Amino acid sequence: MDLSGRFGARSGDGVPFREAAALESLHIGGGEEFRQMVPPENAGGFAALLELPPTQAVELLHSSSSSASQATTLHSLGTLSFPSNPLLMERASRFSVIATDNQQNGNVSGETTTTSSVPSNEHIKTEPAETETCDQAAVEKQSNRCGKRKELDKKVKSSTKKKNKSSEENEKLPYVHVRARRGQATDSHSLAERARREKINARMKLLQELVPGCDKIQGTALVLDEIINHVQSLQRQVEMLSMRLASVNPRIDFNLDTILASENGSLMDGSFNGATMQLAWPLQVMETEQSYHHRQLQQPPSQQWPFDGLNQPVWGREENQDHGNDHNNLMVGSTSLHPNQVKMEL
Amino acid sequence: MASAYNPIYTDVPEKDVFALHFLQTLSNLRTQNSFSSPDNKTSDRVKKIKKAAYVSMARAAGATNRLWSRSLLHQAAKRNNKNVRFLRRKRRVTWLMRRRSNRGDPIEDVAAERLRNLVPGGGGMETSKLMEETAHYIKCLSMQVKVMQCLVDGLSPK
Repeated sequence: MDLSGRFGARSGDGVPFREAAALESLHIGGGEEFRQMVPPENAGGFAALLELPPTQAVELLHSSSSSASQATTLHSLGTLSFPSNPLLMERASRFSVIATDNQQNGNVSGETTTTSSVPSNEHIKTEPAETETCDQAAVEKQSNRCGKRKELDKKVKSSTKKKNKSSEENEKLPYVHVRARRGQATDSHSLAERARREKINARMKLLQELVPGCDKIQGTALVLDEIINHVQSLQRQVEMLSMRLASVNPRIDFNLDTILASENGSLMDGSFNGATMQLAWPLQVMETEQSYHHRQLQQPPSQQWPFDGLNQPVWGREENQDHGNDHNNLMVGSTSLHPNQVKMEL
Repeated sequence: MASAYNPIYTDVPEKDVFALHFLQTLSNLRTQNSFSSPDNKTSDRVKKIKKAAYVSMARAAGATNRLWSRSLLHQAAKRNNKNVRFLRRKRRVTWLMRRRSNRGDPIEDVAAERLRNLVPGGGGMETSKLMEETAHYIKCLSMQVKVMQCLVDGLSPK
């Protein structure tokens, strides 16, 4: 992600030591390998930060996890402070599963995080809390300035860190810290690289679940090949279906614009029959439109298929029979009908 | 996969949203005079339908929330000589290019390159972001395929 990139890009900066606590923060994609440690003392703004549960920090560090809406809420906060968004708290509490699966303590509930974070929010706002704001900026993916700060924290950290596995105490931490394992370099490059790799692995797992038959394959290259094959096959299917649709199309006159324009009339007519209720919403509308047309123009159902003729009744019958099979597939969003109905009624 | 566990946001709307968008796009195609005339070549119609499918899929999946959908709509608009509506983050792209050139060549870069060619808008993305987009793209594609399959099954004669 961008943040890990910034680490590498600005590794040459020499910056003063700003924190007494030997902390290092890095935002993570997965959480299993990262150790967490208790900060030894409170330095300035850390006093309030440390009381925050780690779930918020985990949320902060999940830069990629924040959807666009979340990011915008964070942006709207203006100052680089902790997320007072309760939705984020809730997400953070859920993400605590990821970050704390190595921990002895269980998850921290969302309610406790919310209450405890509120008083510390103002405190955070006043203090130029470097790493927290940097994490948050990482979540927002906006500020280069915070990337520099975070990188600086990491550099500081790497210079003072011991190379041994830390104990798993994280409950007082506002964010997840990365600790170099034994024998691993604490170079900011490698740490950023490792974080990046963790993110890629997490997404690879996500993709593996998505693509059928990918769980059994070992090795990232083969999994990626499988994913690429799946995407290609899906695109080919779209092309194939569009060809079939094109061949079928001249026989059907959709008349969708008239349907959608006059949907109020059709829907309020109550001209549904039992069969039409099984169809998805647009097809439902088509059905009613057909019956509407049928009533209006009183044309007998013909076996021919003129371009602008009323072949809808026959087509409707086909729709009925064919969609009876997969009505359960298409009926997923039958609730979408109701807002439209309500809208028309109003 | 449980959305509660997965921090990566790849939710996709239900099938009827896709169906609605697709049918709307098809109806727009229908109202075009060039479409329903019998002397139209089948390949042109196929291409138009395919483009309609992709555009409607991009719209249904949240048009501007995802990079691939944005890039798809941008391509489609450019082909129709429409104005560009989406803001491009040019600076981020250049920074990413610089960063990518600095790195070595891990195993997955080759496959990532192929993926970038497949997924629309993948050229300016980092690998992790690319994989997110791919996941969402796969979900939307499968949804679109289901919708089109149902449509074709419904419309084809017995």
